[in-house]
Amino acid sequence: MAACTVYSTQSLSTNCSISTPSKTQLSFHQKQVVFYTTSRRNSKRGINSGRSYVITCAASDQQTVVIGLAADSGCGKSTFMRRLTSVFGGAAEPPKGGNPDSNTLISDTTTVICLDDYHSLDRTGRKEKGVTALDPRANDFDLMYDQVKAIKDGIAVQKPIYNHVTGLLDPPELIKPPKILVIEGLHPMFDSRVRDLLDFSIYLDISNEVKFAWKIQRDMAERGHSLESIKASIEARKPDFEAYIDPQKQYADAVIEVLPTQLIPDDNEGKILRVRLIQKEGVNFFSPVYLFDEGSTISWIPCGRKLTCSYPGIKFSYGPDTYYGNEVSIVEMDGQFDRLDELIYVESHLSNLSTKFYGEVTQQMLKHADFPGSNNGTGLFQTIVGLKIRDLYEQIVATRAETPVAAKA
Amino acid sequence: RIQPVRAAPDKISEKVEESIKNAQEACAGDPTSGECVAAWDEVEELSAAAKDARDKQKEKDSDPLETFCKDNPETIECKTFDE
Repeated sequence: MAACTVYSTQSLSTNCSISTPSKTQLSFHQKQVVFYTTSRRNSKRGINSGRSYVITCAASDQQTVVIGLAADSGCGKSTFMRRLTSVFGGAAEPPKGGNPDSNTLISDTTTVICLDDYHSLDRTGRKEKGVTALDPRANDFDLMYDQVKAIKDGIAVQKPIYNHVTGLLDPPELIKPPKILVIEGLHPMFDSRVRDLLDFSIYLDISNEVKFAWKIQRDMAERGHSLESIKASIEARKPDFEAYIDPQKQYADAVIEVLPTQLIPDDNEGKILRVRLIQKEGVNFFSPVYLFDEGSTISWIPCGRKLTCSYPGIKFSYGPDTYYGNEVSIVEMDGQFDRLDELIYVESHLSNLSTKFYGEVTQQMLKHADFPGSNNGTGLFQTIVGLKIRDLYEQIVATRAETPVAAKA
Repeated sequence: RIQPVRAAPDKISEKVEESIKNAQEACAGDPTSGECVAAWDEVEELSAAAKDARDKQKEKDSDPLETFCKDNPETIECKTFDE
């Protein structure tokens, strides 16, 4: 019997690795199946006749890469998701033919699930108990862990659907293991078991001033809403937000912090933003982006002959720092672009972007010029994080291909 | 199989309005009670859902031809060929 190993890094369902003469391993995309045979076929060749052979079919080298994205509701998770899926190519769409209120988005490579689907209490249940959706008691972390773990192991699951319109838990939908699973919501890093399943984690940290400005933009047109009601809603949720959501940022590999600008004194319009990309050092498969010289502290104003900026201009900063006791590198952009195509000038001065070709960041930004944040640091850093995740995914897949998983006897 | 009915954006708007009224009432007595906090959380959830519905509607309205062609790809104004 010949020993051979066949694997490919990219294809989805046809990865085979056939190791050792006594153990045969075949990989399929889904479930584990184990065959035992006691064949005497090889007796002529004198190889261990009568011995049992084990064929393991596992998702070994096509294991799903899991990404966690945490942010408060109404803070631009969906824009981030659209930028991320666009980096991988192909548009993300809701599952076809299912529940029209499903929160899931599926593209060729990526499936995004919303963690609200793991609410253990529906809207009425939370009202009766007097808890918010931010409260861990309103969420089923055991089910979240079980299902994310199953998907990571290549097993499809029936995931509940939390209907945001009716506030009820709808019948479940089938989620098949994708190449990349993104879990987005309020608590992706809250439970330590779920946290340990994540290959990369991101926290979108919106300052209170900006959150208020964004919610005014979102809600003022809505009947019944007023400045007071928007303020009251933010204030009422604040204690739970600070107790359960905010502490998750210490675990994130990348934090995107959105603050009011410092270029205009006392600005509270929330239109011009100071955005910081806080990148943890020493994370596997993730090398932080830097400006000019890695590890130095730099302040850079690109406006001048080569980049047109109107008031208040653009200011970049970069430097090492500590964040919740971790070594981090921070890239910061304050201000906004007037002409998006001039972003190429900024891109050419940033290093470690994980682009496939010169100008890819600019191209991605131009592709979605109509998305919110495309002319400031939110769009820029979200795009960069998207490229970083693609790089991380490709490295993880390549590493798995190098070390064929041992057959389970 | 039970197929939930999708609420129309109009209906969500009404729900938002109602939930704000409820929250203001619930908080009249004690602004830190669980009842009050849960009521404002409901306002946030419905406001976010209303925004999603508005975005979906806006996307539909933004290009009438695209919307038409999704349902009628065979018509003469919608045919595209890759050569």
